Amino acid sequence: MAENIIEIKNLSFSFGNYQALDDISFNIKKGEIVAIIGPNGSGKTTLLNIIIGNYKPQTGSVLIKKQLPKKVRQKIGYVPQKFQFDREIPITVYEFMALEKCEQDNHRPRHIKKILEQVGLKNKQKQKLGSLSGGQFQRVMIARALLHEKDILIFDEPSSGIDIVGEQTIYDLIKDINQTRKTTCLIVSHELNIVNKYADNVLCLNKKMLCYGKPETTISPQTLTELFGINAGLYHSHNHK
Amino acid sequence: MLEFLHYPFMWRALLAGGFVAILLGWLGAFIITRRMSFIGDGVAHASLAGIAIAILLGWTPIPTAIIFAIFIGIGIYLLEKKTSISGDAAIAIIFTTFMAIGVILLHFYQGYQPELISYLFGNILTINNTDLLSIIIIGLLILSSLFIFHRQILFTTFDSVGAYLSGLNTTFYDLLLYITTSVAIVLSIKLVGIVLVSALLVTPGVTARLFARSFKQFIFFTIIFSFITVILGLIASYYLDWPSGATIIITTTVVLFLSYLVKKIISLNVHQQH
Repeated sequence: MAENIIEIKNLSFSFGNYQALDDISFNIKKGEIVAIIGPNGSGKTTLLNIIIGNYKPQTGSVLIKKQLPKKVRQKIGYVPQKFQFDREIPITVYEFMALEKCEQDNHRPRHIKKILEQVGLKNKQKQKLGSLSGGQFQRVMIARALLHEKDILIFDEPSSGIDIVGEQTIYDLIKDINQTRKTTCLIVSHELNIVNKYADNVLCLNKKMLCYGKPETTISPQTLTELFGINAGLYHSHNHK
Repeated sequence: MLEFLHYPFMWRALLAGGFVAILLGWLGAFIITRRMSFIGDGVAHASLAGIAIAILLGWTPIPTAIIFAIFIGIGIYLLEKKTSISGDAAIAIIFTTFMAIGVILLHFYQGYQPELISYLFGNILTINNTDLLSIIIIGLLILSSLFIFHRQILFTTFDSVGAYLSGLNTTFYDLLLYITTSVAIVLSIKLVGIVLVSALLVTPGVTARLFARSFKQFIFFTIIFSFITVILGLIASYYLDWPSGATIIITTTVVLFLSYLVKKIISLNVHQQH
């Protein structure tokens, strides 16, 4: 039985009078892929910010590897929904990857080259970061997390603004990292079919935690109606996990 | 031909100018990356209050303005990061408030204050040995901190969440950049003046960006363009007998314009070859 790597108990958080999260409790086991679904403004990004230690819980507790998030933040990799930067700034893929100091600094150029090849970005080290497509950029962000061997990877809508092929590539990559490195992955996504295909567990969030469990049993028309307030369902194809 | 080298004031101006050009060039690359070009204007104008206090109390203006600039840098940081006010709005609030305080304080000064125009528009004749020494000593301190913490400042500049998750104290590196930039701006006030100094922080970086293929080149080219334009501007101001600050700034703009033309011609040639 795998140990709990993320433990959240009775977590609540508000911005002034606005309640963003209300009494959330769940555990994530080492090596799991967990998807968070919910409408806009449901507290998904706030929850991620608390998990990475950027916000402090106002009530309740969040433990990562049995410690406070800020203490173990170096073990967490974060791929934001949109990385804001001026695309005209001439920083190369290599320079971006090398921003974080790592243990294998002596072998860094070779190591970065190898990791970029793994995410399908062969010979891109010298390319300017601003010239990459949305999908390529997300893969650079993932490659950077791989370079530092993070225990937990957090993705905030990783395929936002990316076409269907790019989306498939990114989720296949996440699955591959999860299986080969046993990295725990936490993904915020609006793509219910993707969640159903890739996630081990799904968390339904709308300020409160409405459900948590296996996607095939959790994502039901009733849950989705309760969560999003509209009639919604999954598209069933022959392509299952 | 090189008769300007016979004058001690030109030596002081060239040395001080070369030093602040390197400082503002390096810092400017970070400021452009953060899209905070307005900070130069903000700090320079706000430092008028520090200069006014010094003039009223009979203190030396530049050291007073440097201490003032440190508080301005911290103030901009706190307004931007600890409130919901955006970076440019925070700079605008501090800039206008302290400029207004400076103007009111100077209103109480009895008599003519000839040095004031020098602070507003720069005057190389007013750079004395103490100013030069201050620029070199403080400049070396800033350059050392940039050299030691370059990677950390770049990481915090480019990806603050990533830098935080890597274990860096992002508040420290943000404050270091804001304070060193504020101090470097005050150091260059006698050279180019409160009104014009921000151009020296921004224009060389914009020029360098046209040719740089990496961030390392971006920093290097920004420093080179900054240094060349300041030295050329100073020499031009001597021979044309124009105000030094304005001539330096016009030189940076001319170099930007020429660089843009060169870049266009190169890219047209490349297109034709294909």
